[in-house]
Amino acid sequence: MTEVRKDIPAISCRDVSVSFGEVSALSDISIDLPLGGIHAVVGQNGAGKTTFARVVAGIVKPDSGSLLINGKKIVLGNVASSRSTGIELVHQSFALPPSFTVAEALEYGSGGGVGFFKKGDLNNRWRRHLEALEMDIDPRHLIQDLPIELQQAVEIARALSSNANILILDEPTAVLSPSGIAGLFKRLRRLRDTGVTIVLVLHKIREIWEIADSITVLRKGKLIDGPMELGRTKPESLTPMIMGAKDFKENISRISDENSDNKVLDQKSISTLPKNKKHALEIDGVSTETTDHEVSLENMSIKVYQDEIVGLADVEGNGQVTLLRVLAGLSDISKGKIKICGQEATHLNLSKRRLLGLRIIPFDRNMEGLSLTSELWENWVASELAVTPLIRWINPMKIKERCKISMSEWDVAYNSPEQKASDLSGGNCQKLILSRELNDEAGMIVAAQPTRGLDIGATNFVWTTLENARSRGCGVLLLSSDLDELFKISDRILVMLSGSIIRELNPPYDLEKAGRAMVGESG
Amino acid sequence: MNEKIEIIIRPLAFILLATILCGIIFEIAGFSAILMFNSILDGAFLGSRSLEKSLRWALPLFITAVGVGISFRCGFFNIGAQGQFYMGSVCAVYVTEYMSGVNAVIVIPLGMIAGMTGGALWSLWPGYLKIRYGVDEVITTLMSNFIAGLILVYVTSGPLKDQSGSGQQASTKILPSELRISDASGVSLTIILITIGVGITGWLLVNRTSFGTLSSLAGRNPTMLKYQGGKIWQLGLASFIISGMLAGLSGSIELFGPSGRVVSGFLPTHGFTAILVALVASYAVIGTAFSALFFGGLFSAALFLPIFTGLPTSAIDLFNAIIALLITARITLGTNFLRNRWSHPHD
Repeated sequence: MTEVRKDIPAISCRDVSVSFGEVSALSDISIDLPLGGIHAVVGQNGAGKTTFARVVAGIVKPDSGSLLINGKKIVLGNVASSRSTGIELVHQSFALPPSFTVAEALEYGSGGGVGFFKKGDLNNRWRRHLEALEMDIDPRHLIQDLPIELQQAVEIARALSSNANILILDEPTAVLSPSGIAGLFKRLRRLRDTGVTIVLVLHKIREIWEIADSITVLRKGKLIDGPMELGRTKPESLTPMIMGAKDFKENISRISDENSDNKVLDQKSISTLPKNKKHALEIDGVSTETTDHEVSLENMSIKVYQDEIVGLADVEGNGQVTLLRVLAGLSDISKGKIKICGQEATHLNLSKRRLLGLRIIPFDRNMEGLSLTSELWENWVASELAVTPLIRWINPMKIKERCKISMSEWDVAYNSPEQKASDLSGGNCQKLILSRELNDEAGMIVAAQPTRGLDIGATNFVWTTLENARSRGCGVLLLSSDLDELFKISDRILVMLSGSIIRELNPPYDLEKAGRAMVGESG
Repeated sequence: MNEKIEIIIRPLAFILLATILCGIIFEIAGFSAILMFNSILDGAFLGSRSLEKSLRWALPLFITAVGVGISFRCGFFNIGAQGQFYMGSVCAVYVTEYMSGVNAVIVIPLGMIAGMTGGALWSLWPGYLKIRYGVDEVITTLMSNFIAGLILVYVTSGPLKDQSGSGQQASTKILPSELRISDASGVSLTIILITIGVGITGWLLVNRTSFGTLSSLAGRNPTMLKYQGGKIWQLGLASFIISGMLAGLSGSIELFGPSGRVVSGFLPTHGFTAILVALVASYAVIGTAFSALFFGGLFSAALFLPIFTGLPTSAIDLFNAIIALLITARITLGTNFLRNRWSHPHD
């Protein structure tokens, strides 16, 4: 580790501004983050958190301003310069080569990998490194075989293989299950105790409270406050800072119960479902063949009424993905029946199922939901074109006009229908998907992790949208591993384990009971 | 910055960079780069009748390249244009053989339809293998070129061999003049009209139909399209068929036009150059027209190079190869470089 002095801030940036084209991502930010501790940088999507992290890591060169690391001025926009002062960035999505073993990935990622080496030496060296970090990972495993939280751990181990004394993590919890988050936080605390300064880009208030020592709030590229010591602030005062007063008023009711310590969230009285209602979705005894890369479904039955939100609680890896693929007609079923809005759909392909009213909001909005390198209007019109004959005249001008109207109805922040979808922030990407899926013909919505990685404002937007769909008479199946989310909007919750439904929970929900059910304990 | 400007500037940047790199190599090899480029420019565009000679190569290149672009755009790397071109010419020549004596107004269109069908069928089987069994289309289409080349050898030296020929190169009989749509110059109103027709149809297909939009989405992210209920297999088969049809049309035009017959191993680089043409134009139809003209010009200049500069014709291959290398490099390096420059004007 490089020599450090206690009185000098670990990161000190002065008047840093960054703009991308006409959009200002950061304007005149001056922050001093003290040495040691875990510093949370929080804000909504598009607040400039990631840009801040990238400026510090040298990936983005600011238009103006200066940056001091451990008191030393560094060359802006130069990764090597940032790294030489001990800064390492753990990316939002990991860049480890999937076909490498853990040891190979670490060697390659830490700048080695040229020349000859002995496999045994490599494994031993990195095993010691992983053990020193108290990570229980076999260096001989392939990256692609590791669950996502261990991939992230390897990425952290990679970052710490040099003399890193400042570790920046960009949205590290977005990809993790609740138990994975707990593991990550434990790891981060241990690192903090060894003297590493940790900067965490986060947006979930509960997580911030759990882990951070100080909080810095950004909004629309401006510094709102910070770093504030955690003891000096309260969750109630943090939310308006993050959201801005106007948004805050609209969302206040939700946020206050999100942050309440009350573990029993019983806002909904036991719903009185009229039993003569029709089913929007009937999955009847569906099983799938066992394959290497998918958890198989075992005799699964789910019924979703029209105007009902059914939550499907699942620690990831228990068959959510298979179920979604089965509903999308992308995986075959070996037995069982599927009905959509009362119509037999077991052997229909997805475009026919869509015509019956099925809509899918897939897990990964960047890969499955959108084509990021395609233009916005193309993404928007995809579902409409996909179910029509292959060659049909279209008028792109008219489509773009309709797309514009829809974008403003759904409050998507965009510049032009011809811009690439990758230019949109995560929240706006999800709104774009909602605007495409939730038209009047939608009768049954399957939403998979629809708020993953979204900030509070966008999350509330998605929840309200799903609730509105319910009141319009849509059935909603919500696949989620976020219990808060499930409790918030589900009329009832089914717990899934190893490809089967093992329990149904009804309001008022009990966090502990649900948690126990999700890992298969009775009670 | 503006995507549309990028589409124009990028190919120009490739060509400029390739010119500089070529110049350096020529100088090292002891040839005058200036003289070299002067004669290329003369041979391609500036000399008397040189534009016409460039068009002779540019017109068929454009037709084939529009098809290649449609297939690539959809994410299917159909590199079998050369074989599809040969199969088009073979099918067309059989029509002329079996309908000899029938009115040219019937024979020529039928021959072209046969050419398109032949090209489409020759593209269809690798397409089917890809879509049904996931067989890598790059390998099957590449191999299909060699098979088609051998079929061409068989036809020209076997069943349809021109017995009166000198025997230098096996070929079919030269077509009677009423069946020709151009003389050996390869430039005639008919061929230009067909080319324009292909251009307009291709442009409409790409920019004004659901197929165009869906195939672009399929090429960029097929997973997303699957979750929209899109049928990738339909798009894939259609794009294989269309690209085969157009390469086959080129083959039949070559028969009825400049060549007047089918020759064993003729135009051996046509299909591969068409891939470069499409890549340089980023699959945009209008861009393909300019890019085809450029490569057609290079091709025509190559025939004059030995006369004026003492350089072998293969100097042009060097040029093509460098452009191919730059295109490959672009995928990782070029676009990011250009885009970053443009989106951060303050740097």
